[in-house]
Amino acid sequence: MSTADAVRLLEQASFGPTLTSIAEVQAGTVESWIDRQLSLPATGYAGYPVMEATQSIGCPTTAIATCSRDNYSLFPIQTRFFRNALAGPDQLRQRVAFALSQIFVTSGNEVAVTYAMAGYQQMLLDNAFGTYRQLLEKVTVSPVMGRYLDMANNERPNPAAGVEPNENYAREVLQLFSLGVYELNADGSPKQDGQGRAIASYDQDTVEGFAHAFTGWTYPPKAGRPVRWNNPRHFDGPMAAVAEAHDNGAKRLLSGVVLPANQGQDQDIRQALDNIANHPNVGPFIGKQLIQHLVTSNPSPAYVARISAVFDRDSNSVRGNLGSVVRAILLDPEARGDLKTAPDYGKLREPGLFLANLMRGIGGSSDGVYLRARSTVMGQPIYQAPSVFNFYPPNYPLQGTLLVGPSFGLNTAGSALERINLLARLLTGPVTADSTVPGAIGTQLDLGVWQVLAGDPAALLDRIDLLFFHNTMSFASRITIQTTLSTIPVSDTASRARTALYLALSSAQYQVAQ
Amino acid sequence: MTSSMHMHSPTNHSRRDFLSGLGCLGGGLLLNTLPSFSAQAQGFGDYKALVCVFLLGGNDGNNMIVPNDTAGYGKYAAIRGDYTRTSGAVGLPRSELLALQPASGNAAFGAHPALTHLQQVWNAGDLAVLFNVGTLARPLTKAGYGNCTLTPDNLFSHADQQAQWQSAVSQGISRTGWGGRLADAVRSANGAAPVPPLVAWGRNDLFAIGNSTMSLSVPSSGTFGLTNFGGGSYRSSISGSLNQMLQLDRGNALVASAQDTVQSAITSSGALSPILSGTSSSINGFFSGQSSGIAQQLLQTARMIEARGALGVSRQIFYVALGGFDTHNSQIETQAELFGQLSPALKAFQDSMAQLGMADQVTTFTVSDFGRTLKPASGGGTDHAWGNHHLVMGGAVRGQRFYGQFPEHALGGPDDVTSEGRWLPTTSVDQYGATLSRWFGVSDADLATVFPNLQQFPNKDLGFLG
Repeated sequence: MSTADAVRLLEQASFGPTLTSIAEVQAGTVESWIDRQLSLPATGYAGYPVMEATQSIGCPTTAIATCSRDNYSLFPIQTRFFRNALAGPDQLRQRVAFALSQIFVTSGNEVAVTYAMAGYQQMLLDNAFGTYRQLLEKVTVSPVMGRYLDMANNERPNPAAGVEPNENYAREVLQLFSLGVYELNADGSPKQDGQGRAIASYDQDTVEGFAHAFTGWTYPPKAGRPVRWNNPRHFDGPMAAVAEAHDNGAKRLLSGVVLPANQGQDQDIRQALDNIANHPNVGPFIGKQLIQHLVTSNPSPAYVARISAVFDRDSNSVRGNLGSVVRAILLDPEARGDLKTAPDYGKLREPGLFLANLMRGIGGSSDGVYLRARSTVMGQPIYQAPSVFNFYPPNYPLQGTLLVGPSFGLNTAGSALERINLLARLLTGPVTADSTVPGAIGTQLDLGVWQVLAGDPAALLDRIDLLFFHNTMSFASRITIQTTLSTIPVSDTASRARTALYLALSSAQYQVAQ
Repeated sequence: MTSSMHMHSPTNHSRRDFLSGLGCLGGGLLLNTLPSFSAQAQGFGDYKALVCVFLLGGNDGNNMIVPNDTAGYGKYAAIRGDYTRTSGAVGLPRSELLALQPASGNAAFGAHPALTHLQQVWNAGDLAVLFNVGTLARPLTKAGYGNCTLTPDNLFSHADQQAQWQSAVSQGISRTGWGGRLADAVRSANGAAPVPPLVAWGRNDLFAIGNSTMSLSVPSSGTFGLTNFGGGSYRSSISGSLNQMLQLDRGNALVASAQDTVQSAITSSGALSPILSGTSSSINGFFSGQSSGIAQQLLQTARMIEARGALGVSRQIFYVALGGFDTHNSQIETQAELFGQLSPALKAFQDSMAQLGMADQVTTFTVSDFGRTLKPASGGGTDHAWGNHHLVMGGAVRGQRFYGQFPEHALGGPDDVTSEGRWLPTTSVDQYGATLSRWFGVSDADLATVFPNLQQFPNKDLGFLG
């Protein structure tokens, strides 16, 4: 495969191309690279101790000063996210799991216990290439999701107290994790009735049906303790079933399915999840979002339809095989090739991807501390979205067009300037290590190789064009940068290298990956 | 704003209100013409601002405004209980309610106990309450609920109901918000001001997207601007090249849009940074001791209004937001905490406006995804509902009054479309927004573009302003 196509693949399937990873791709075929990536185990989030749910108990006043940061905040896993992104060998798994974390959203705003969120993100990594049904079940019984969307300790109707089951998880699992609000064609467009109206994929009664089906789950017990109703918050392992808190009535679900009364809690949740996972919306709804996260914000209906078909049935006749879906997304003609020139093609790099991409492309090292802080300033604190609706909606309109630009939902004036300011900061010198962080090394770019190239502006721009633009930088952009370099003495290789990288990477031409 | 900033679609679509025709009404609401606003907007001789306060997640209006007469409170408490007596109940005890004495008549309603500052604003005559406002396609009766042509799409869904509140389009999908369309309508009045008419604090929401006007979303921290890069002798050439790059390769719509955002940020930051730094502001003291995000956003809004002369603006729309109202659990604690931020911040803002002599020229109003079920749900919270009570604040507000119809607190009753207490709205978002917009100076002709569905409602001015 061509170098440009290899770079594009690495834009889509990794946290950014490096000279090493380009060579790795070119040593085989696209398929062989993807298949190897699919088989790599997760570089994950192991090693965070199980703590008391309450910070005042886990970090008493006598604890070391960093106890709270290291056990009751997302700081450790947000920094580790960037370390994994920069150096993990399982790049594709990391990318897909990051996308999944923005579809099956939980947030550190409500679940800040470090080991809990680490466990949830590890689960997404481990299940990123399994079946959708399996992933859906892991998400549903996760105590982190149980806490976030109130499925934990959700009790059957209590007429004496005048209380109904909580509908939060039931509604959002349908709206956000599986179907969306409209019935969809395989190409992602909404189905229409005889009068040209979109058709709702479920109604309030369906939401209540699922809310009842999902009653009776509580937090996993602490070690050595029995399962009982209203277990206190604890996140070590999946949620536990408590039969007497489960509603035993019949439940109306999707597609005309009714769960019969009194069949029990395990049967109810299994059949409820089957009911969701078998709905024809899941392929186009989840498939399109994965395309948007990996490849382009406005995929053609035909592209979505091809992915839906793979979701429905892969070459081994498996439904919802996410590994096959990811493979098909990346091998699709709309993803592959040296360049795409359609005026609606591409996606604005979201802050997390922008930061990882520039670090990998330029070369350098980071403990993740600074990158974590800057992604937060740019509006994307990793695993800490403001709500279950993620950092931005998948249908955020690109103003003045008929297109969507999901990550434009984050691109405020402040966030857009911060991208440029961040480059200015990192290109000027290292960010020193925070000595309170174990193993801290700070964040620094290695400009050595760029300075070597800087004596020859053409060679410098060739390298930039390759790594950051897959050889599509326009002549006008190139000339603009080159002209600027000519005002800097040849001997000042540092300034030349910095200036070229600053102008190239701050440009919208780079910020929008095509 | 230069015209190049909103002419970047390479796909040759005319810039119109893109309603895709999804949902109940099909293409019935599609606007096929480019909105044309009357040139009258250029002639405002005064200054006015609207401040939209979005309570993200669906504020429980049922506990914001509570019946305080014996019969009314009895119905409320029969369904909500009393949290001080029953675990899992979400009802407030009557003794905790703050009386809202109206300008005339009896105090039949009380406010949430955390709204002490707003009670003072009410008593000063600068606050009004609107009952049971919500997304509607047209006036709707309970008999018509569920009929696809009459009912808004995707009720009880956060994303959809937020979008409908923000766009004033409840059937089909709108690609613009009514704040953005309002900005389109008044933009010419601001001449060549360095900031667009609509400023949001740190959020890009549908409300702010116009057909032709890009809004500006800046951090409320006040730290905002491009830092210098490069040694002294190279600096200006690098900065020139950065600007030059923003003009290139605009054939891709996403690239062009990203460039427009950067361009607008650079242009506005020069004018805004000194204002947002607050060093010369006279109103800082009103917000002292308040560290909440909503207070910070309202402080910055007040500073920008203070600097209206320097900015050369005569019409401004501000979009501020406070999140956390999706109280599926622990509602009593959460709402009290959030109101404890909201209430003093709104009062500080109103006091600032009075200090600036702007009290009559600035109107602040709340919006939210939806109301919440009157019936509690497992976990000490409530679920997604529909019609909701809202607040309007300002010197121009005919305050200390209630507007609209209070819903009958009966599960499955005349105002409940389900059996958990989900109120069928009796006032629409369109009517609410149109009343604010008329006061803002938008002509009746332009109102039809800002609120394309307003024609469905006989009463186009709710009377709470002016």
